Amino acid sequence: MNASVSPRRLARYPLIPVVVAMAVGFEVATGSFVGSQNLLGIATDSATLAIVAIPSALLVISGYLDLSVGSTYALGAVAAGWLASEHGGSLLTCVLLSLLAGLAVGAVNGFLCCVVGLSPFIVTLGTLTAVRGLAQQFAPLPLTGFGDSFAWLGGAKVAGLPSPVAIALIVVLVAGVVLALTPVGRHIYAIGVSREAAYLSGVRVRTVPFALFLATGACAALAGAIKASVLGAVQSGTAGTGFELAVLTAVLVGGVALTGGSGTLFGVVLGVAFLGILQNGLTLVGVPTFWQQVAQGLALVVAAGLAYLAPRLEALAAVRPQPTRRATPEPAAT
Amino acid sequence: MSTPFSSPGSRDVNRRTFLAWTGGIGAAVLASACSAPESTSGSSNKKVATSSKDVDTIAWDYPFTFLPVYAGVARFAKERAKEKGVSLEQTNDNGKPDVQAANLDTLIGKKVPAIVSFPMVFEAIEAQAAKALSAGIIWVTYGGTLKNQSASITFSFEEGGRQLGEDAAAWAKENLGGKGKVAFLVDDTIQLGRERTAGMIDAFTKAAPDMKVVGREQAIDPDTALTKTKAILAKHPDVNVILGITDGAAFGGYKALVESGRAEDDAKTYVGGQDGDLGSLELIKKGTFYRASAALQLRDIGNAVIDVPLAVADGKSDAEASTDVPIALVKKGDALLDEIISQYG
Repeated sequence: MNASVSPRRLARYPLIPVVVAMAVGFEVATGSFVGSQNLLGIATDSATLAIVAIPSALLVISGYLDLSVGSTYALGAVAAGWLASEHGGSLLTCVLLSLLAGLAVGAVNGFLCCVVGLSPFIVTLGTLTAVRGLAQQFAPLPLTGFGDSFAWLGGAKVAGLPSPVAIALIVVLVAGVVLALTPVGRHIYAIGVSREAAYLSGVRVRTVPFALFLATGACAALAGAIKASVLGAVQSGTAGTGFELAVLTAVLVGGVALTGGSGTLFGVVLGVAFLGILQNGLTLVGVPTFWQQVAQGLALVVAAGLAYLAPRLEALAAVRPQPTRRATPEPAAT
Repeated sequence: MSTPFSSPGSRDVNRRTFLAWTGGIGAAVLASACSAPESTSGSSNKKVATSSKDVDTIAWDYPFTFLPVYAGVARFAKERAKEKGVSLEQTNDNGKPDVQAANLDTLIGKKVPAIVSFPMVFEAIEAQAAKALSAGIIWVTYGGTLKNQSASITFSFEEGGRQLGEDAAAWAKENLGGKGKVAFLVDDTIQLGRERTAGMIDAFTKAAPDMKVVGREQAIDPDTALTKTKAILAKHPDVNVILGITDGAAFGGYKALVESGRAEDDAKTYVGGQDGDLGSLELIKKGTFYRASAALQLRDIGNAVIDVPLAVADGKSDAEASTDVPIALVKKGDALLDEIISQYG
């Protein structure tokens, strides 16, 4: 381990010690946190959050945000569940219909925010409400009886991993490649740092965020379909309620600046893990409901404080004088 | 056409941006709070109803439109309204007491002939009920009683919880010798949830005192319940009984158990919920370890939403017009199970 790199990395990702400390603390308190079944359970439960938080993070890095993901999640679940239960749809057609529903919501958001230039906060707050109404209108009663084909989406194992976790890993991988290895990744940061400067540099300042809205909508709907498959049922009124806040929290706690222009996918993954571990650990410990809320709120404030301190700590670590290598005395010439 | 620089996705968070955003939230909340109830009638009746013929519109204010049971009851209420030749207005309170209060104010201001309201906070709605009565509006309290009312439609939430708790305790005594582990998925946030929770837990723990309580978690929907139950199972993989405040919650608990490898018909496991959701009822019918649901009678409640205010308009007193719709515990083999499943259509 390179000792000179470690403090800077820790300073950049202050959630690492927090997540480790939480895991150790919950294990000590319960003796059952670090079990493979529990860890796999956390990963499976957090997978849908990760699937949506990753494209949402890219959107926030580019200076936009999407608050409608909770309702898009419900619409995606309803679309897939409806096709599976009412028409015996195959896995592929259910997923495609769900993705189409998500893309449609993303297109509306993208058009209004990127082309027309309306506030993404107001627009996606509006679609959050409208899309929830649509989902409830389409499926006022719970949808059940999906069949074995659709059950694969949430219940299968892919390379030993639960399918939701495998899908989340694919989303992280694709987003990571786009962000780190393609010009589009640099354009996302550029638009987030300065839209004007990006425009003058020839960056497609409307097309790139529009595509991110599409990706976010599609991923939110896919996450809804996955959860519908896991549960084997969809309740349009409750599916994904408050999900948008969980997504935004994971993104922000993961170190993505709400002002755009900065953030990493690794940080977002840490943010997702932080929320998953916190939720699981508090239940394991048996903390009463309202104290859980207090603890979650306090933990978020601490995480936000660390995110605030991170760039300062990193800068401090960067300017700290490196230990000078003691010169090995040359053997005296004889 | 907007320029590429006109988007509010601007990078600098300054005071103006903050004010714009908080203003946006305020505007959205205000718009939501002030939204007029959905109306199926174009007219409003300004005179006091002296017979059911004077009641051309009944406003049904149900705050929990996101619950599956709502759609079931609404279906029967609409059918009954059509049958009786009245229009049914419905509010959309989004489960928020302040929005409910605003919607009720709108209805009272509009002088609809009759309001059937399910108060989220009963004490908070008392003044509006009095205001409605003084304006000559028939006020029917749904899910409980108020001091100021024309009549009520009641079904004891505490009783539903108690029936479920007692049945689960009896099952535990018979199949586990009264010893095992139980987890409760509860709701401590609203009055009806607290009533159900109290009925369920008190009845169970009293009748099966040797069962070890290993979890008491807030969960009303399947998703949350799945996550919470998984965590409980990580520490207590041998949980025998899971009781839910709603069938949605119990359904999530059931899924977590199945996901953990429990056979769907495991003889040492009992899951039960409340409401009578279709998915849960089908699991009961199938013979899984989802064994019981304290079910609401959708048709009877839906009919009462229309019949009770019309009875008041025809001169019936509070005692004469009010109705109590019993909550019935349904289990595999019960005729009522098939009856309620068929009510979902």
